[in-house]
Amino acid sequence: MSVQSKAAEQFARQLLKLSVVDGSVSPSQVAGVLEYVEAHKPANAVMVLNAYKRLVSAELSRSAAIIEHAGPISDAIQKSIAATLTAKFKRTITTTVKSNPDLLAGIRVRLGDDIFESSLSSQLTSLAENV
Amino acid sequence: MSTVLEQIEQQIAKLSAKAVRKNTGTIRTLADGVAKIDGLSDVMYNEMVQFPGGAIGIALNLEENEVGCVILGDVSQLKEGDEVKTTGKLLSVPVGKALLGRAVDALGQPIDGKGPIDAKETYPVEKIAPGIIERKSVTQPLLTGIMAIDSMIPIGRGQRELIIGDRGTGKTTIAVDTIINQAKINKVGLASGDPKFRPVYSIYVAIGQKNSNIVRTIAALENAGALEYTIIVAAPAADNAANQYIAPYSGASMGEWFMENNMDSLIVYDDLSKHAVAYRQISLILKRPSGREAYPGDVFYLHSRLLERSARLDGKGSLTALPIIETLAGDVSAYIPTNVISITDGQIFLETDLFNQGIRPAVSVGLSVSRVGSAAQLKATKQVAGKLKGELAQFRELAAFSQFGSDLDAKTKSQLDRGARVVELFKQPAFDPISIELQVVTLWAMQKGYYENLTISKVMSAAASLRTFMTTRHDTLLTKIRTKAAVDAEIEAELKTACDSWQSTFSA
Repeated sequence: MSVQSKAAEQFARQLLKLSVVDGSVSPSQVAGVLEYVEAHKPANAVMVLNAYKRLVSAELSRSAAIIEHAGPISDAIQKSIAATLTAKFKRTITTTVKSNPDLLAGIRVRLGDDIFESSLSSQLTSLAENV
Repeated sequence: MSTVLEQIEQQIAKLSAKAVRKNTGTIRTLADGVAKIDGLSDVMYNEMVQFPGGAIGIALNLEENEVGCVILGDVSQLKEGDEVKTTGKLLSVPVGKALLGRAVDALGQPIDGKGPIDAKETYPVEKIAPGIIERKSVTQPLLTGIMAIDSMIPIGRGQRELIIGDRGTGKTTIAVDTIINQAKINKVGLASGDPKFRPVYSIYVAIGQKNSNIVRTIAALENAGALEYTIIVAAPAADNAANQYIAPYSGASMGEWFMENNMDSLIVYDDLSKHAVAYRQISLILKRPSGREAYPGDVFYLHSRLLERSARLDGKGSLTALPIIETLAGDVSAYIPTNVISITDGQIFLETDLFNQGIRPAVSVGLSVSRVGSAAQLKATKQVAGKLKGELAQFRELAAFSQFGSDLDAKTKSQLDRGARVVELFKQPAFDPISIELQVVTLWAMQKGYYENLTISKVMSAAASLRTFMTTRHDTLLTKIRTKAAVDAEIEAELKTACDSWQSTFSA
């Protein structure tokens, strides 16, 4: 990593800290940060904004779970998953659902880097690996 | 029947278990077998990570924003944005006797076309070396079958003896000869039914070598009947740097299995210069700070943690290491050679000049040393070769000095003559190790002056003739020397009779 990109990364991290309120990214804070960057034009502004975008995107993905499912999924289950994740990670987590027939049966919840999976497809894969 | 049902029930229980958590990341950049990955926030140092298409990686750089992984296997199918998963496991390789006689890659997978390997256990590739409490001093010999080494630079079980020299000086030959000699000793020992006999199993790790050279080595071992006691771990020049980096550690794990299970083993790293180069390549791509000769700062630790795994364990077995280092123009003061010299318990230095003069093995007596091996040397060898190293060193000095003038006194002339005979006696063809009892006989005959009346050029053939004579006519005496491992008055008398008898036939 070059000296410039290291400095840009560090600056972007500071900007991210300013954008997070109560454990989640605040749109108004982000707008404020962007205004500040536009007004002050820091060195390597493009590099800073790219790093900032990546960090904000990672932060957002930590608070927005994607529920992939095969077969029907009720609103109650969706709400229950959101409540469980919110309690587990101690921050508000929103959920979106997405159909994925490759799972065969069951669900897969993707939250940031983590995947929580209880699907027939993963169990068959694990069975194949163990046999 | 009930066991089968239990197994199925256990599998059902596993399948109906709760959701499985996996940590993932995405490939940000990919170059020369090294991937930079976004995510993988839970990955551990040295953890195995799973790439799409079955490729495996090892997490080597855990940074604030990214993880640097070396990829073992085919990288051609991978692309930016591919998902990578953690496995929660350290890289492991199969170990055990099932690997003997087989050629495997850096991950322990067979590459010899002889089918799958039925290994019951696996060992982690990276393991902390045994501590001081578990270790025991080196006291048992590991015979190479090379007279110059066994008599002057003896190696013990659990020792690390470096083989160092320029290209084409016979480094690999010494290592292969040693492996062949172990196989010969194993065959004799196992056939004798001696319960105290401890066979030595060998592991040959080829790093960054040409495939044709590896095939030649395997063929040499096979022809000598040594392959059945040997495991070949190959990471040839065509393999990526990650495989070349991991191969010696995989070999060490295989050797450690023998050591931990009360057996003795020998490992040859051929060679650690190329290993350091592979590690330098990985480190530079990972953007680790480079130091002298562009090697990373931890290149010493790279080799010290590998060679420290060779040991003799108290109440268990041993792992002897023969690392090989290639020098450039005989420069032993280069970075990697000095590192490995300081880690090992001695070195066998091979000289290009000696090799070109036809003195093979081209062992430089002055620069070669064994720091712990003398404690492991057999009494018989000590009796017949105790003073040889000093005499040969003196001979080399006198030979260099005598070049300046022709007027030499009788004593100097006799020393030069004797030295020349000893040099001639130590010449030995490749892949033909000599058993220790025959070495004792050959050197005893030297000590007693049986070659003194011969012209120098005939000494080598005379010694070979003596060995053939002893093998065919005095097998009982040889067995006696082997079992007693010392030359007592009774053996000495028998040796005299046998050598006198040989001398009359040879002269005739």
